[in-house]
Amino acid sequence: MSSFDFLMQGLVTASDPMLLLYALIGVTIGTAIGVLPGIGPALTVALLLPVTYRLDPAGSLIMFAGIYYGGMYGGSTTSILLNTPGESASIITALEGNKMARKGRGGPALATAAIGSFVAGLIATLLLAFLAPHVVKLALVFGPREYFALMVLAFVTVSSAFGDSTLRGLTSLFLGLGLACFGIDQLTGQARMSFGVPDLLDGIEVTTLAVAMFAVGEALAIAALGNVGDDKVHAVKGSVWMSRADWSRSWKPWLRGTFIGFPIGAMPAGGADVGTFLSYAAEKKLSKHPEEFGHGAIEGVAGPEAANNASAAGTLVPLLTLGLPTTATAAIMLAGFQQFGLQPGPLLFVTNPELVWGLIASLLIANAMLLVLNLPMIGLWVKLLTIPKPWLYAGILLFATLGTIGANPSTFELGMLLVFGLVGYGMRVFGYPIAPIVVGLILGPMAEQQLRRALSISQGDWTVLLTSPISATMLAISAVALIVPLVMRMRGRGALLRQMAGDED
Amino acid sequence: MKKLMLATILAGAVALPAMAADYTIIAPANPGGGWDQTARTMQAVLQDEGISGNVQVQNVPGAGGTIGLAQFASQNEGNANALIVGGYVMVGAILTNNAPVGLEAVTPIARLTGEYEAIVVPAASPIQTIEELVEALKADPGAVSWAGGSAGGADHIAVGLLAKAAGVDPTKINYIAYSGGGEALAAILGSQVTAGISSLGEFVSQVESGTLRLLAVSSEERIEGVDAPTLKEAGLDVVLQNWRMVAAAPGLSDEQKATVSADIEAMVKSAAWQEQLATKGWADTYLAGPEFEAQLAADITATETVLKDIGLVK
Amino acid sequence: MSVKQHETQRRPDRAALAVAAGLALFGGVIVVDAARLADFGGYSGVGPGTVPRMVGIALILLAVWTVAAALRGDFPERPRQQPVPVLWIIAGLAAQLVLLNVAGFSIATGVLFAFTARAFGQRNLPLALGVGIALSFAVWMVFSQLLLLNLPAGPLENLFFGRPAP
Repeated sequence: MSSFDFLMQGLVTASDPMLLLYALIGVTIGTAIGVLPGIGPALTVALLLPVTYRLDPAGSLIMFAGIYYGGMYGGSTTSILLNTPGESASIITALEGNKMARKGRGGPALATAAIGSFVAGLIATLLLAFLAPHVVKLALVFGPREYFALMVLAFVTVSSAFGDSTLRGLTSLFLGLGLACFGIDQLTGQARMSFGVPDLLDGIEVTTLAVAMFAVGEALAIAALGNVGDDKVHAVKGSVWMSRADWSRSWKPWLRGTFIGFPIGAMPAGGADVGTFLSYAAEKKLSKHPEEFGHGAIEGVAGPEAANNASAAGTLVPLLTLGLPTTATAAIMLAGFQQFGLQPGPLLFVTNPELVWGLIASLLIANAMLLVLNLPMIGLWVKLLTIPKPWLYAGILLFATLGTIGANPSTFELGMLLVFGLVGYGMRVFGYPIAPIVVGLILGPMAEQQLRRALSISQGDWTVLLTSPISATMLAISAVALIVPLVMRMRGRGALLRQMAGDED
Repeated sequence: MKKLMLATILAGAVALPAMAADYTIIAPANPGGGWDQTARTMQAVLQDEGISGNVQVQNVPGAGGTIGLAQFASQNEGNANALIVGGYVMVGAILTNNAPVGLEAVTPIARLTGEYEAIVVPAASPIQTIEELVEALKADPGAVSWAGGSAGGADHIAVGLLAKAAGVDPTKINYIAYSGGGEALAAILGSQVTAGISSLGEFVSQVESGTLRLLAVSSEERIEGVDAPTLKEAGLDVVLQNWRMVAAAPGLSDEQKATVSADIEAMVKSAAWQEQLATKGWADTYLAGPEFEAQLAADITATETVLKDIGLVK
Repeated sequence: MSVKQHETQRRPDRAALAVAAGLALFGGVIVVDAARLADFGGYSGVGPGTVPRMVGIALILLAVWTVAAALRGDFPERPRQQPVPVLWIIAGLAAQLVLLNVAGFSIATGVLFAFTARAFGQRNLPLALGVGIALSFAVWMVFSQLLLLNLPAGPLENLFFGRPAP
């Protein structure tokens, strides 16, 4: 049988009504836990995996696929409506999506996220099915130096996309890099910035910082304005559904996001967040409305959400083809597969074709189910914003702390939430952008570790960074991206650009 | 009447926990890792076999398990319903992190499973045997890069022991620490490093498919079904088992300790547990009582020495 | 976010100077901590202290830049801040932190809920407290009993679901 026949057979099996019900249940509970800020797909899958054990292999596989995609998608709803990104991959979604929601365009934002996730999930799952063995060969070419160059590229593109003040953007970024210095140094086991406090040894949790900066910091900042009241959030202005313009501005970002997210997700040290950063930067560069970015540009939701979900399928490439669990989520999935008697590894596609194709068919079904579940819910979700402010913000803080407590029930983590919430409040008051601090915390350690690994392997020879064509190319692109705006500014055109951006306010 | 009802409910609430043999297992790591999987497997077997009515798993991640250990020891004095999963990695982490709470603060119950370390090279590597790898190491320790797990962990310790046994200065090893098995494996497969070291289970499917070459394992004797010499056969006196254990709270009475030990023994002896070990590829290295305590003490001393040799502990 | 450019001769921005001091302090602490680390670079030549040192120095430089900007009055104007609602929220978060392991999830989070509602203008505190505890308890039931999330239980939770608090 060819791959295609296997896939078709899997789809037929999975369209059994009972199995569709399992898929629906999986998607629903996956989303329910996934929406909690601070609880990402890894914990969601770990918590719910035992539930799937009670079913027969086909049912358990499909429910599991539903939980995985549900958990990946769940974070975007709360990010858009409540500005509480639950994991690092939905920070970008919160950035533009929440601005849209505040202007009464929550409906289109949720819709573009849901449809974009579906499109990306569909394409990426098909890519996984037919190209996995080839993609993984490319992914293995990436060693420490290539990853370092990729991180540099992500830094440069993403930092040029934040804020209107170089000083405040850089300050925020370096605060994030400073926070990244806390905890045990991965490569030598030395404790840095821990001051003898054991809870600091593992560094600062990205999700804690994100929840604190976005949810707590914002609640404080809005409360501090007093109850003058004219800052009313518009629940719905215009249609709840996407307009023709929304569609035409969304479809290209969906596709671009997919093709950025999938390969980066497939890389053993890529990660979903890096894909969303690159997608956001690309959309901002290519958009006909760059001035809308930062004020609710739909491309900034469509692209990164697609990238996020495409990387979820990408993660399965090394897992299924090599048995490589490259993320915490993948490691838990590996444990899940073993329950089905499936040993992921290089021979999996040969030895267990029914199960592999069954899983891929399940993923496709779960992906469709997610859309079926979420599109009708959008009208209901945006109603959330009509809740009176006192109850709304009280509820936001309830769910924000629930996620933190559920992920790690220690009062220390809650203390960090409070401290960083205050920092986030201060940063808002002084007009510092808050995304760069979180980006710094995510990318900083990755860049540092990969650089040191590369240099350790080369025994201190820095030229290795340039002798690999991939890494040299990425570093060159980064250099151009950094230098060109500087040159433009020096020729006086920067002022003009700034003025153009400023006039839009 | 109302009061009576309330009293009944209250009495029920207080009495219930005493009747059921409930356990809360602390997995001092994030979901997905070996300790988490061990805890969740215990949960399933204890419940399914009816040894315990209700088992909860709680993740307290951080710093090689030392945060979970410290929290467990301080909050559960005399609580016979609390268990913690741990392992060899904890021994090293306690030393490198200067952790305030060590393994002496809990009541070790039993060693459950164990895995031996395996040394591999990519299939395309010119190195064919462990002897050739050792020769290369002796010639220029810096040119032999090793990919493995976290700094100061079992993999790192094994490389340190190997270097020492080969007469190479352990501080001169070029060890590249990765956070997870997957990332290290990708680096080895991509020939980014000279050699890789990790638990045998991580490499088995790659070795079978011919993408990696297994050079040696760290067991006492050859492992059944594994076509590779031990390090001892290669003349390197290194034996290392990366074991996982379960421990109970401090301050238990002898009866309490006996009850917990009996429950764990019943779990290990059950068919369900053996089946789980087989699907997960874990070796049953069950060891309890004074033998386990003696072995634990020996491991702690040996680990301290080698960490000092590598230079990670002063 | 248009800054009023007309008032050219603004006085030095004191709050911004405080921000600069904070940045310099943070950077300084990182540099001092990095100096304590042994040079463990091994073959890479880049030790555990190298990157923190660079980041710390960068933060100090940014602090200097911030001082310059503050003296020029380059910071955006800030709307007047009301301290009372902010304090209510901080008190709510602190109360939750203190109460969590003593009183359980529902009561601790109910207090946070009520205080936050108060900060946003809900005057009836007992009502908010009641709503908060009821809502938190419902959330606790769904997430800890149905979806197996580990949330601390207290007297309220144990009353309905008799289980020893872990």
